Amino acid sequence: MTPNETLPTDPAKEQSSECPVPPMSADPAANVLKTSRRDFLKSGGALSLSSLMGTAALMSQSGDAEAAVEWAEHFQKNYRLMTPAEKAEARLRLEKRYSDEYGKKVSVDTTEAQPGVLMGYALNIRKCIGCRRCVHACVAENNQSRGTKRPGEKIEWIQVLRMERGKFEQEKMNHGYPEGLGIQVGGNAYTPAGAVLEGQYHYNPEKVPEADATYMPIACMQCEKPPCVKVCPVRTTYREADGPVVIDYNWCIGCKMCMNACPYWARRFNLTTPVLPKEEMNPVTHYLGNRPRMRGVVEKCHWCLQRTRHDRYPACVEVCPVGARKFGNLLDPESEVSKILERKNVFRLKAELNTFPKFFYFYD
Amino acid sequence: MKKLAIYTTVLALCGGAFYAVSAAEQAAPAQPAPEAAKEVVCFESRKGASEVTQRDIKPGWPNVKCSPKTGAALWYGDPYDGTVPMGKMPGLDKIPEGHAVIKPRSEKLALMPMCGVSCHNGVGPQFSPPTLPKGKKPVPLPTMEAMVPDLKDLQHGRGRIWCMDCHHTTQRNKLVDHFGDPISFDQPQLLCGKCHGDKLRDWRDGIHGKRIGEFTSTGKKRWFTCTECHNPHNVQDGARNRGFVQLQPEPSPQLPRGMKDASHEKLHPIPH
Ligand code: HEC
Ligand code: HEC
Ligand code: HEC
Repeated sequence: MTPNETLPTDPAKEQSSECPVPPMSADPAANVLKTSRRDFLKSGGALSLSSLMGTAALMSQSGDAEAAVEWAEHFQKNYRLMTPAEKAEARLRLEKRYSDEYGKKVSVDTTEAQPGVLMGYALNIRKCIGCRRCVHACVAENNQSRGTKRPGEKIEWIQVLRMERGKFEQEKMNHGYPEGLGIQVGGNAYTPAGAVLEGQYHYNPEKVPEADATYMPIACMQCEKPPCVKVCPVRTTYREADGPVVIDYNWCIGCKMCMNACPYWARRFNLTTPVLPKEEMNPVTHYLGNRPRMRGVVEKCHWCLQRTRHDRYPACVEVCPVGARKFGNLLDPESEVSKILERKNVFRLKAELNTFPKFFYFYD
Repeated sequence: MKKLAIYTTVLALCGGAFYAVSAAEQAAPAQPAPEAAKEVVCFESRKGASEVTQRDIKPGWPNVKCSPKTGAALWYGDPYDGTVPMGKMPGLDKIPEGHAVIKPRSEKLALMPMCGVSCHNGVGPQFSPPTLPKGKKPVPLPTMEAMVPDLKDLQHGRGRIWCMDCHHTTQRNKLVDHFGDPISFDQPQLLCGKCHGDKLRDWRDGIHGKRIGEFTSTGKKRWFTCTECHNPHNVQDGARNRGFVQLQPEPSPQLPRGMKDASHEKLHPIPH
């Protein structure tokens, strides 16, 4: 969890996560009009019943195109179980809805994984200067919420951790740890012990890199054995055949199990209705990638599926001023990531967890 | 005495040419002021080394998005904007014709058109004694320092390399290889590679430096050349002294409730 996400502000959300008595028969129509399928699932046990009632309510007040769309979406299958025809239908429906909503021609790609491709990523930890261009390139590309007013309205998938370079000092040789408690469990000649492990996210100096710091960007590691996929109760997040772990946003119930399971703090929750100004919206989208999300679903890095399925580098790779970010096909021995694995010293973050990330850190 | 006179003439000529250029540069943006005000230009890797001018490729789809805070390029709609084929490069034969492109450096080098004409014509009897250096050893070059301030205290090689290790003796609008043959300014990798072979190898394999466009190994890519990231006259700059100058960071993430500013993280570390 990032610090941002500890702050529920929306009273409605609060209520639903606490799971009180489900608002069963009270007035389903009133309940249904604004909400969608996932809200029903959230409200607990009697889901099939309330879900059906909701649909009935929707249908009865239809005639309105939007309601028809919602109705179709309501009964949409898990993306992986859809037939090609159903996918095409879902795609057209979404394209129409987004185009109307954002006032421009929006495309929703459904290109499948190509055989012979396994995507991989490598980051030169020595080169990173902490400028955060990758963070903002990612937002420009992937249609994240970018509000500023309420906490949780601004979503960024990449986090750049600033780690202080510590030092060992002669003067502190006899300092104990814990300080002043008689029994010592360790020496403390190192400064700044304790402050470094979690890193700092909000650093904001005039210029980077700072002499006393190193930087470590983190985002989704696209694990080969992803803990988030294991825990998902509705199987909406899964590993695609070419590597990235994706989410079918429509099927997500917002239970946040995956966020708890992820050891890399990679997943973000749409606490509020995403704030995405029309002019900033990127109209080239992928169903499993950067299409606009709704409130109450989880999202994360997917290696710019809308780009990489068409051989284009992810947005973060392209803007890194120092060229620290590398991307390619792990199955192609000529690709830059394969060359890095062959030639450089690489490590995986938290390798001891056996998640087998396809995101590698390296240094010259 | 005679020598001094020639020096002065050279100085006057070069200086004159230089001032003319800088005057023209200052005057240029002044004329189409209302137009220029709207134009968004963002810099790529190193400030001052290469820029992109924002324009729409199709409605609502720009070639580049720039950071409102720092003016840095933040997103590429068209990765090949303003590029030309890289030219012959040993070791890159597997890449299909035209799939390796670069942004030409020579267009950026304001002094280049004059160098070979005004001063270093390489033959002119008038200029040949002072402009063709006697050896490769460092000597003070006040004229050059006036034009390119970085040359005053050349921060490359810690006193062990000098102008003629990189610039061609008689053809000043060219760089030079190990055999004394000219290299185009658009292919600095051939120059840098003669001393930094390991880096050249990594660059060729896409590990050092940067490429944008299609990631497949035979796809079309724009390659960033060495001098788009490194200032050849000052590679020691930067806080870490390792070849890349410092820059202004992009805005930090939204502060969580209860955290007033960035120093909170430092003052309230997670105890262990
Ligand atoms: C390490 C190799 C190297 C050394 C040493 C070197 N230069 Fe350069 N110089 C270059 C390169 C490469 C460029 C082109 C820079 C670019 O592409 O931005 C250049 C550009 C220039 C320019 C053109 C600048 C412009 O904006 O048009 C001048 C003038 C110049 N050098 C003079 C010198 C002088 C004088 C010295 C000796 C004090 C010197 N250089 C030493 C590599 C070198
Ligand atoms: C004539 C040989 C030569 C050429 C040509 C050359 N360099 Fe260097 N370079 C050196 C030497 C020598 C050092 C210093 C190594 C040291 O003392 O640690 C150096 C150091 C560097 C460094 C490390 C900075 C540091 O900490 O010293 C960078 C970056 C660098 N060069 C980039 C370039 C680039 C880019 C080019 C091409 C424009 C280039 N070099 C061309 C000889 C050369
Ligand atoms: C995308 C930008 C980029 C390009 C293009 C680039 N470099 Fe670098 N280079 C860097 C950065 C950033 C560093 C600093 C790494 C560090 O801090 O350890 C660096 C470091 C170096 C060093 C010093 C290495 C060290 O261990 O200290 C050399 C030498 C060098 N580059 C040479 C080259 C040459 C030669 C080329 C062209 C073939 C080139 N670079 C192209 C970004 C670039």
